[in-house]
Amino acid sequence: MPSNIALFSAIVGEQHVLTNKDDLENYGQDWSRLYTPAPSFILRPGTTAEVSKIMAVAYEHEIAVVPSGGRTGLSGGAVALNGEVVISLERMNQISSFNSVDRTVTCGAGVITQQLQEYALEQNLYYPVDFASAGSSHIGGNIATNAGGIKVLKYGLTRDWVVGLTLVTAKGEILKLNKGLVKNATGYDLRHLIIGSEGTLGIVTEAEMTLTDQPKNPTVMLLALESLSDVSNLLVHFQSAMDLLAFEFFSHQALQKVLTHRDVKKPFEHDANFYVLMEFESDGDEAMESALAAFEQAAENEWLVDGLISQSQQQAEELWVYREGISESISHYPPYKNDIAVKPSQVGDFLQQVDHFVNENYPDFENIWFGHIGDGNLHLNILKPENLGLEDFKQQCAKANPSIFTILQSFDGSISAEHGVGLVKKDYLSFSRSDIEIQLMKSIKRTFDPINILNPGKLFK
Amino acid sequence: MKLMVTVKRVVDYNVKVRVKDDQSGIETANVKMSMNPFCEIAVEEAIRFKEKGVATEVVVVSIGPAQCQETLRTALALGADRAILVKTDEEIQPLAVAKLLQKIAEKESPNAIIMGKQSIDGDNNQSGQMLAALLDWPQGTFASEVSIADGKATVTREVDGGLETIALDLPAIVTTDLRLNEPRFASLPNIMKAKRKPLDVLSTEDLGVDVTPRVKTLKVAPPATRQAGVKVESVQELVDKLKNEAKVI
Repeated sequence: MPSNIALFSAIVGEQHVLTNKDDLENYGQDWSRLYTPAPSFILRPGTTAEVSKIMAVAYEHEIAVVPSGGRTGLSGGAVALNGEVVISLERMNQISSFNSVDRTVTCGAGVITQQLQEYALEQNLYYPVDFASAGSSHIGGNIATNAGGIKVLKYGLTRDWVVGLTLVTAKGEILKLNKGLVKNATGYDLRHLIIGSEGTLGIVTEAEMTLTDQPKNPTVMLLALESLSDVSNLLVHFQSAMDLLAFEFFSHQALQKVLTHRDVKKPFEHDANFYVLMEFESDGDEAMESALAAFEQAAENEWLVDGLISQSQQQAEELWVYREGISESISHYPPYKNDIAVKPSQVGDFLQQVDHFVNENYPDFENIWFGHIGDGNLHLNILKPENLGLEDFKQQCAKANPSIFTILQSFDGSISAEHGVGLVKKDYLSFSRSDIEIQLMKSIKRTFDPINILNPGKLFK
Repeated sequence: MKLMVTVKRVVDYNVKVRVKDDQSGIETANVKMSMNPFCEIAVEEAIRFKEKGVATEVVVVSIGPAQCQETLRTALALGADRAILVKTDEEIQPLAVAKLLQKIAEKESPNAIIMGKQSIDGDNNQSGQMLAALLDWPQGTFASEVSIADGKATVTREVDGGLETIALDLPAIVTTDLRLNEPRFASLPNIMKAKRKPLDVLSTEDLGVDVTPRVKTLKVAPPATRQAGVKVESVQELVDKLKNEAKVI
């Protein structure tokens, strides 16, 4: 390996090549924490030109690379298992050339999501892609996984905010994709092929992102529900009455975990089985009147049993804690996480079937449900019982996978809604994609990466 | 027992305040306004006294523009029984606030008035004390614990260096500090019910109070921006900077 290091340190400079044990472990894995990282060394290039030179050398010497962002992924997409060279883009964290007419901004791949959100606010604009790990995740990683999060209902996914990409190919060529255009009907849109490709087709070094207006007076309602059977009615009902920004749900068990983990007050005097957290724009009295009337009607229809509403920005944030604090409050168990999606109209039925399956076959396991009802994305978390060893628990969960995915397949659902496939889900890709689709995807991979050096071993078996 | 609570509508605690270009004040157009956090605590405390059966009626009072009705409706939704708005578009300074509240207190004759210790916009911390003086009532300011029994209020006060517990003869004024309680969320069913609770609107003339400002604001300026930090490469460099730049060692 040392000869390799010399080739690369000539490009990035010795101080940006990391080889010590802690760095290898840290840069070699994401938050999935299921694999033992084993990268050869870490490179921290500072420019697109450096990444291009790195890839030219890697291609010539057939050295596999793993691109690395904030490493907050949960599917093992950024894990280096087999002596790959990790290319961390964290030094490319500059935001530049804001254009107020186009409302676009150019970000290095290493810009942290929250950094872009805050930059947008300074321009009196808004970057709407948001999720619990926004304080650590990178824009480059968001693009690689087409990150979604809590505002997808209104604002869509990362894909919807990328108007230009700078891509370094396996051979080190530099491509500028779509170049910030709004309209561009000139054949295959390679930009969209790259978004969500998990670093298997090229390395994104820079992105032009578009910004939008800030939501007006976002207000949060927390609703208490006895069951989820009427939840799609609720969604339609509130969607017609107000401008929804988010429509999230969580189970009572999930709330219990947050209340135990965080020092927050109980939201309702009486417990319910499920809760819906709804955020909407409340611009003026009329919008608020309409929201209140919609609540009254829903209560009359017995679709919900109680509700709260934020009276200040502070309270809106306090209410979000009940939803956003869930992942953190169960992380120590550790949970078996499943990020799956069905059509929003089928959430209730699907959830019932899976819940039934898990309760029947794994009566000792505790299920924590939460997710984004508004876009059909559910997070099923099964908690490890205290008396069960970690390896046993992992094995039992792996056995449950095919059954859960078979139910999912019957709903035409997705085995990975927003976390990506990476290593964790690659064995199950065929539950969501047909054989022909997978063959086509593999031939695309070969076209972009003929000698399989870009994040090898991810996505496909 | 009747309790009177005062609430002020202020720029939301979480909003980053911007100074107007002409430095005449802060930007309030299209800015989220909410109940002053200390007033929320005052409302919560009064409602708890009602829930415990100590108080029978909670009257909530606000002074300001028509939009203060929203703030009052919030207090009604939280559990207050009726509301009074002194409607004015003038700038009302602490002394005028105290005089207006004095007139209302004389009319309502509450057994106690619970107020926030200060509002987060003016940060004056004066209205409660001035009102106590005007009414010639005892005052327990910066309360972190309040109990009411046998015509007396026992108030634990947050003072420099510790806590002080005092007993006040009712009627009295209590102003709330942060640790007194944790306000609840407004429940939607209660917001519906609050729409039917009475809300009276008065003018400063109705109360016969001269509210002309006594203090003139000359200029409002944002605090100086902090310089960004720098990373040093070595301990030597750090020591050098501490010695020669910061001159602290």
